[in-house]
Amino acid sequence: MSETIAVIGGGPAGLEAARGLAELGGSVVLIEKENFLGGTPIRENYAALTPHLESAEVAMGRMIDAVREQPGVEVLLEHTVTACAGDAPEFRLTVSGPGGEREIECGGIIVATGFEHFDPGRETQMYGYYEHPDVLALQDLEAMLKEHNVVRPSTGLPPERICFVQCVGSRDRQIGNEYCSKVCCGVASKEAIEVRQQLPDCKVFIFYIDMRMYGYWENQIYWPAQEEYHVQYVKGIITEVLKKGDKLLVRGEDTTMGRPMEVPMDMVILSVGMEPSAGTRSMSRILGIEPNKYGFIEVLNPPLDTVSTSRRGIWACGASLGPADLEDCASSGAAAAMKALAFVRRKTVAVG
Amino acid sequence: MPIPVEALLKKKEHFERGPHDRRSEDFHHELFELEEQGEWIVQRAPEPIVPVNTKFGNVKKVPKAHLWHHKSCGQCGHIPGYSTSIFWVMRKLGYDYTDPRDQTSCTAWNYYASATSNAAAQAAVAIRNFATAYESGFFPLIHCGTSYGHYKEVREELLKHPELRAQVREIMGKLNKPMVMPEEIVHYSEWFYALKDEIAAKQVRDFSGIAATVHPACHYYKLVEGDAIYDADVYGGQRTAIVTGVAEALGAEVRNYSTWFDCCGFGFRHILVQRDFTRSFATLRKIERMKEEADPDVVLTHDTGCVTTLDKSQFAAMAHGRNVGVPVMSEAQFAALAMGAHPYKVCQLHWHSADYRPLLEKMGIDWEAAWAEFQQDLKRLEAGEKQYLTWDDVG
Repeated sequence: MSETIAVIGGGPAGLEAARGLAELGGSVVLIEKENFLGGTPIRENYAALTPHLESAEVAMGRMIDAVREQPGVEVLLEHTVTACAGDAPEFRLTVSGPGGEREIECGGIIVATGFEHFDPGRETQMYGYYEHPDVLALQDLEAMLKEHNVVRPSTGLPPERICFVQCVGSRDRQIGNEYCSKVCCGVASKEAIEVRQQLPDCKVFIFYIDMRMYGYWENQIYWPAQEEYHVQYVKGIITEVLKKGDKLLVRGEDTTMGRPMEVPMDMVILSVGMEPSAGTRSMSRILGIEPNKYGFIEVLNPPLDTVSTSRRGIWACGASLGPADLEDCASSGAAAAMKALAFVRRKTVAVG
Repeated sequence: MPIPVEALLKKKEHFERGPHDRRSEDFHHELFELEEQGEWIVQRAPEPIVPVNTKFGNVKKVPKAHLWHHKSCGQCGHIPGYSTSIFWVMRKLGYDYTDPRDQTSCTAWNYYASATSNAAAQAAVAIRNFATAYESGFFPLIHCGTSYGHYKEVREELLKHPELRAQVREIMGKLNKPMVMPEEIVHYSEWFYALKDEIAAKQVRDFSGIAATVHPACHYYKLVEGDAIYDADVYGGQRTAIVTGVAEALGAEVRNYSTWFDCCGFGFRHILVQRDFTRSFATLRKIERMKEEADPDVVLTHDTGCVTTLDKSQFAAMAHGRNVGVPVMSEAQFAALAMGAHPYKVCQLHWHSADYRPLLEKMGIDWEAAWAEFQQDLKRLEAGEKQYLTWDDVG
């Protein structure tokens, strides 16, 4: 039987798992569907990471280099897992890539296939993401911030007024995404800070239900956004975004004032939540591991075992488990690596 | 990998609803299952059918012919040209129908005015009308948006609550009527949308110079929101396509305004007991915004209450010097005018409050001559030649 561990997904969690396994002397095959490593932060052109505002490309670059430097890691780019046969500790994964199909024998599998940004077209509220060029999502603004080119797509000119709408696709019983996506309050506040840094004359608003910046983010992002960068937080749910003249009319309820509000904006940024990625959904099917009711991978014994799936020999980490920040990804990636390596080694010892 | 603005815009060009959108459940599964279990008869939509898309991707069947006209109390009572136009267009397109004398009100007026009875009574009224249609062999077509939204809700309640079905079954037993639920609950504006190309083919008046704003009825698309027509070619599939689809097919220019999703303000309860609220809403939030931002020649909508309040609230605001004064009508009357209908004998615009004459002039209609013709017909009635005008008199 093989002691190789297959890590499916080369984003933050998968990279941490792969590096950790290799550093401990394990043998790893890292399977990634894109032709680059780094996952969503790289694919979606994230500018700076929350909360320290380090460049996403630089930070992920370090993780990628660390994996590339390990002799025990075989990286398969542009590959996807199409079938899984056998049982732990003798899995046979079929992977498909540019060179054709190949079978990988492995003793354990770590799923790190991550999340997808919620598509605002699915939402019940009328935000007009597909109707108005100036309505964007968090990751769209990340891409512009990275380029240092935040402009209104309709005019190509910098905005004078920009707002964020929180909880789009999260905390929503109507569409079934009843959970909080954890990072959007922090990310929106971080992006708000970046906009104020790049466009000092632009007014920035955040419309929220609750502001959730737990732990150290309180003082790393929440207060600086207000005290240093004068981001304006307004408690109230936004229901519609319509066009009025050459501006956008943002309509909703101002909870503090107890009345409806209508405010003109140049750009609206929807703080879209996290949903399981297509990869996470297909891995749960192909590997036969139970998803939870939202489609993320179900963990067997929460909260103290954060990575064991319903199937022996298979673990999951990162945002494939649910909304996660980067610290979660690094931590669960490492936890999965530890458990997977212990499992395959125990098996080898037992057989020997 | 820098992303230019063009790439972002391209990404947002087209929205496709994924298979895992939990709200794509199709109520038809439960509908037919209950039929198999003997709970009710599902009246099938008769051929010929036009399939249309609804909000979450399910296909809805709109029958073209063999329709049982479930009329609107408010239309027949206050906007008779609305009903007449629906019948007139259907006759012109050559589709058979029946205009039943034994239909009852849906009683949703009651419900929305907070004066209603109880769920079983409301549901029984609906099933009774459906059973009557079924017995006639014709398929129900609902004229009023409120009836339509209410019936959709009744369907949901009956699908989900066996105890309610049992209560209604008992009532139907006493009335000696079967338990019937139609395969689809179809609003007349869905029929107009489905047949918009056939209507446009019979257009004789040029509407290319007409600018319209559209008011979509809350009771059409906000109640049981999945069952409403959405079309990728209209508003990119992001807003409901009825009325706009028809107006565009007739060559009119549909203009946008910032309170598109707002209710007209009719309100049922408050139009009775707090009418200033209704009038303020209709004129300040809808009509004034439309005039300011879009300056339309006509406001088009597709529900009895919406036509009523948007049209008939304007005089009160005008007395206060507000920026109002734009004609309001249903897309049925608009389509009828496009097809050459008489503005008074068919569309009965003399029942409308806001001045429609400039619009008729823009459409190339000599309303003075039309009015004279109508007066002639009225003289014949006064002379006792007949009791009321019939289809023979309208052409």
